[in-house]
Formats: sequence, structure tokens, C-alpha cells
Amino acid sequence: MSRTRTVRLVATREITERLRSRTTRLVTVVTALLVVGAVTIPGLIKESSKPTRIGLVGPAARSLAPTLERVARAAKIEISLTEVPREAQGRAELREGELEVLLSLAAHSRTAKVEVEQALSPTITALISATVEQARLDAVLAEAGVPASKVLPALAGAPIAVAALKPAAPHEDARIVAAIAASLLMYLSLTLYGTAVATGVAQEKTSRTAEVLLATVRPGQLLAGKVAGIGLTGLGQLAIAAGAGLIANAVLQSAKIPASVWALLPAFLAFFLAGFVLYAFVLAAAGALVSRQEEVQSVLIPVAMPLVLGYLLVFAAVSSPNATWLRVASLLPPLSATLMPARIALGHIAWWELPLDGLLMLASILAVARIASRIYAGALLHGGPRVGWRAALRFPGQ
Amino acid sequence: MLQVLDLRHRFGDVVALDGVTLAVGEGELVGLVGRNGAGKTTAMRAIVGILRPDTGEVRWQGGPVGESERLRFGYMPEERGLYAQMRIGDQVAYFARLHGMERDAAARAAEGWLARLGLGGRARDLLVTLSHGNQQRVQLAVALAHDPLLLVLDEPFAGLDPEAVDSLSEVLREQAAEGRSILFSSHQLELVERICRRVVVLDAGRVIAAGTLAELRERFPAQLRVMVGGSTDWAWGLDGVRVLRSDEDGVLLRVDPGVDAQAILRAAQQAGPVERFAFESAGLIDLYRRMISP
Repeated sequence: MSRTRTVRLVATREITERLRSRTTRLVTVVTALLVVGAVTIPGLIKESSKPTRIGLVGPAARSLAPTLERVARAAKIEISLTEVPREAQGRAELREGELEVLLSLAAHSRTAKVEVEQALSPTITALISATVEQARLDAVLAEAGVPASKVLPALAGAPIAVAALKPAAPHEDARIVAAIAASLLMYLSLTLYGTAVATGVAQEKTSRTAEVLLATVRPGQLLAGKVAGIGLTGLGQLAIAAGAGLIANAVLQSAKIPASVWALLPAFLAFFLAGFVLYAFVLAAAGALVSRQEEVQSVLIPVAMPLVLGYLLVFAAVSSPNATWLRVASLLPPLSATLMPARIALGHIAWWELPLDGLLMLASILAVARIASRIYAGALLHGGPRVGWRAALRFPGQ
Repeated sequence: MLQVLDLRHRFGDVVALDGVTLAVGEGELVGLVGRNGAGKTTAMRAIVGILRPDTGEVRWQGGPVGESERLRFGYMPEERGLYAQMRIGDQVAYFARLHGMERDAAARAAEGWLARLGLGGRARDLLVTLSHGNQQRVQLAVALAHDPLLLVLDEPFAGLDPEAVDSLSEVLREQAAEGRSILFSSHQLELVERICRRVVVLDAGRVIAAGTLAELRERFPAQLRVMVGGSTDWAWGLDGVRVLRSDEDGVLLRVDPGVDAQAILRAAQQAGPVERFAFESAGLIDLYRRMISP
């Protein structure tokens, strides 16, 4: 029987049994919902930023309407104006939430009186005071006999030349959010599926199923099948989540997620696969060392440390994406799974960094797989108390 | 034919196998007996290839045992092990496929063996929902489903009720009759005596006896009970004969191998009328006790 057939059989069993479990289905649905939520909620929030509704009480205030609209347009503030015949009615509408701002104007003093339910936003404050100033200016000009039509064109659209010393990359905010989200998602997925490998191995060992299996299957085949099966299940779940996100994005056409972030998707899946394989081998070896299922947690912790570190470093990457130490750290395989996708999202990456990282990743996977397989094979059939990894390396195994 | 040649293995300072040699022929059912720690499990693990002995060799049909040979071995370990949360039908079929069977054949074999072992209709049950005895049947089905040529069963009868013991004995005899070689270990010696033609006795990692029951008996002095009317002291002084007991049932003699029974009979007849003259055939339990106690 060919070796690949055995590996395929082991992997298929992992996938089928996992798909059959309720936990897996639940995780798939929850992950997809989270991604859909992450795609749609920002769009919904943006949509809910409706124009500020301002009620104008009396003819004096009403006369401000054209100026208010003009200033608002120039300042890109969205407002909607309604005329309110009496102040009492305006207050009632304010209380009911029909209006957000109630503006009245004392006819002679031209002092604005603004009523709000709780507080007036700084933008609207600035808008109203600019408008009132404008109205006063108009009045003063009129008294001096200068027609407003002569002054206004001179004031309108005074040009400002803006020169940014440190221009922000397009969609800077979206990129930072994507970087943090990508590394968080990577950290969570690697932890989830890595733990699945360790517990699966520990189960086979402590239930002695390994003894029945190893009478026909080589430890390497069992390990490869297990890693492949769980990895593909994880990849499938992530792909479903990503697909759900893409569909939600297309349906809502929110376009709040820039294309550069979506372009991160294949890179994310590739890094998941590589990172998973790297960690899975180590975690499988760790799982084989335990003597009881309860010990799995304690052997997981040291292995998960670099994963946590990689995730935490992303926050440093966001503030100083070009630091040399960060560029070096993101090339180190145990950290690169969480760091590199974040750096791709941030967009400060040299062309040679990805292929170099790929090579380093591949080399460390090969090295780790060799050592981990030996520990795994040595420890798997070793009954009794928990085995140290050095001791496991000395066991004859197969 | 399985041949085990001079297996030696140590776990640290403990000598587990100290030159074990044994053979199981085609269609032969061989019982492996010995006290706890005698090396039975280690020997069986070496045979199925999950333990590589320090030295020695396992041969199958005259050649070395490789991966393809091992696919036709069926193994039931002492500490049972299967997936608790997996359906038993899928489980048996999965192990059959790992032994090289195609999907459909494996499914059919799983169904057939579960039915044969009294678990028909439960193929979709999870292993963990089964009773201990039924889980053991599933373990046996896993060892048998891929139609193995050699069965290595470590304590297959442990923990079974008498009915299950009978049905398992029947299955084993039937499998042997179909030409399979079967090696199994057990502490239930009366059972081994009942179903095996040959027995291998291990002690401290060494084979201290091997052969049919009759062959084993020949290695030990036979016990002869003779009743002679009116006399009990006639046997004293006979060459190669020792009086073990003398009571109202006559005398119980220990007869060294090679002593002519006819000479003893003549001596008895001279002493008086011989009312009884019979060799007491020692069972495996007696033989075993005599073998392992120095």
C-alpha cells in the first residue's frame, strides 16, 4: 500500500470526524458570522451618520438658512433644516428626537440661542457661529451701504494650498485595522487548530489507539495525516469565513473595505498554512509527551509563547512599521506567521522580504518536522509518567 | 508460518526478552502463557513491529517482515485502544482500509464482523456508548476485519463473561481452521488448554517450555497412582520412583522419565492384587506451576 494512501486515509478520517462534530460546525458558523459582522458593521455605522437636523425658529432664524447651507457645504458637514413656527413646538420635537438642534435668533441683538438635548458637537457649534458671524457681517455691510453681492464673491472659496510633509497612505486607518485583525485572526486560528493537533495526538496516545495504529501505520504517516487533516479543516473554515465576508461585501457594496485589504486574503491563507504546519509539528510532539489528557494544557503553553509574542508585536508594527528590529523579527519563522500578514496589510514591505520569509519558513518547517517526528515516534508508545522531550528523542521509536 | 528467532530486548536495566524463540504454523492456535512481566506483551509488540527488539528477528513465511507483510497481521493489544467518539462501523472499516482494503470491501467486512460478533445494527453507535465487553468485541473486529493471515492477540479473553469467552474461543478455532496462524496470550490456563494445540511458556523473558500438552508432560516426572490390596510399602526402593503419598487410595508415585512402567506393575502384582494402576495426567495448570517454581 502506498504511503500517500495511508496519509490520505488518516487525513480523511480527521476531516470526516471533525465535520461530524457539532463543535466544528459551530466554530465555522461563528467565524463566518464574525467576518460578515466585521465587513458590514463599519458600513452600517457610516450610514447611520445622518445629517444633523436643525430646527429654525421664527423668520429671523429662517433667514439664516441659505448661509447655513452654504457654510455647511463648504465645511462638508451634513445638515438638514426644518422651519419651526414656535419655540415650544421646537422643544417638543427636540425632546422626541425629531430634531437635534433648535436655533433661534433674537431679532435685534442678532444673538443666537441654541438649544440641544444634551450637548452641542464642536462642528455644529463652529458651523452656527460662523453663520451668525456671516449674518452680522451682512447686516453691518448693509448699514454701511455696501451691497453683500459685492463682498461675498471675494470671500467665497478662499483657496488654501495644503502641503503634507508626511502624507498618509491611502486608507491608512483601514490598513491598521486590517493589520491588527489579520494578526489577531491568525493568532486565534493557529491556537485553535494547533490545540486540536495536540489534543488529538494526546487522545490517540492516552487511549492507546496509537498502539493499534502503529501496528500498520508509520508514526510519520500518522503525524502527516493528522496535520494535513486538521490543517485542511482549518483552511476550509477560514475560506468559508472569507467567502462569507466577500459575499457580504458585494451584497452591501459598502466599499468601506479597500481593495488592498482584500488582496491580503491569499497572503493570509498562505501564512496560515505555513504557520499551522510549523506549529502543528511542534504541538504534535508536545501532545505525544503527556501521560494524561489533562496535561495537554501545560505542554501547550511554552509552544504558544512565540505566537502570543508575534501577535503583541503587531501593535509595535502599527506605530513604527519601518523599524529594523521589526523587519528582522517578522522574518523569523515562529513570529512571521502573525507579524508578516500585518506588515503586508500595513504596506511597508520590500519586494525581497516575502520570498526570503518563505524560504526561511520552509527551511524551519523541514527542520522542525524532522525533530518533532522523532520525539512523536519515541513518546507515542511510551506509557507511564510524562516523558521529557530529550528522553523521547533517545527512544528507539521506528 | 511465523518464526521468532532469539529476540532480546532491554528497557534500561530490565531485561524484557532474553532470547525468545518460537514458531506458529499455518492454521495453528498457540497459547502464550507466563506470569506478569514474563515478556509476553513485549514479545507480541516485537512481532507486530511496534517495538524494535535490540537483537533477534521476526520472520513470516520464511522472509523478513516488512510493511506489506504487516498489513496482513491482525493485532489486539493488551491495553485496548480505539477512538471513543467514532462510530464503530466507521472505525472497523477505517482500520481495515489502513490494512490495505478498498472502501467497499472494508465497509462490508466491518458490517459482517460486527454482525458475527453480536453487534449487528449498532454500526452507527459511538464506541463510548458501548459496554466494556462490547467494546472488546469491536477491538476484536478491528483485528479481524482485514482478513489477516496472522493474528496476535494479547489477553483477548481478559474481562469477558463466560458466554463471550465461549464465542471468542469458537471464533479463534474457526479462524485457525481456515488456515490462519494465531498467537494469543492468556492467564486463563484451563482455557488455553482447551483451545490450543500448542503452548509456549515464558518466564523472565525466556521460553522455558514449548510444545503440545503431551510433550510438556513428558518433560516432567509422571505421577502414577497404584492401589494394591493389603499393601502400601511395596514401592519403596524401586529405581527412579519416589513415593509422594500413601493413603487409603493407595500410593501416589513420582516416576522419572525413562522408567519402565511395566516393571512397576510387576512389583505391584508381586505385593498383592492390583486394584488400580493409572497415570494421573497433569493439566496445564499443574505443569505450569511445576515449571515456574524452581
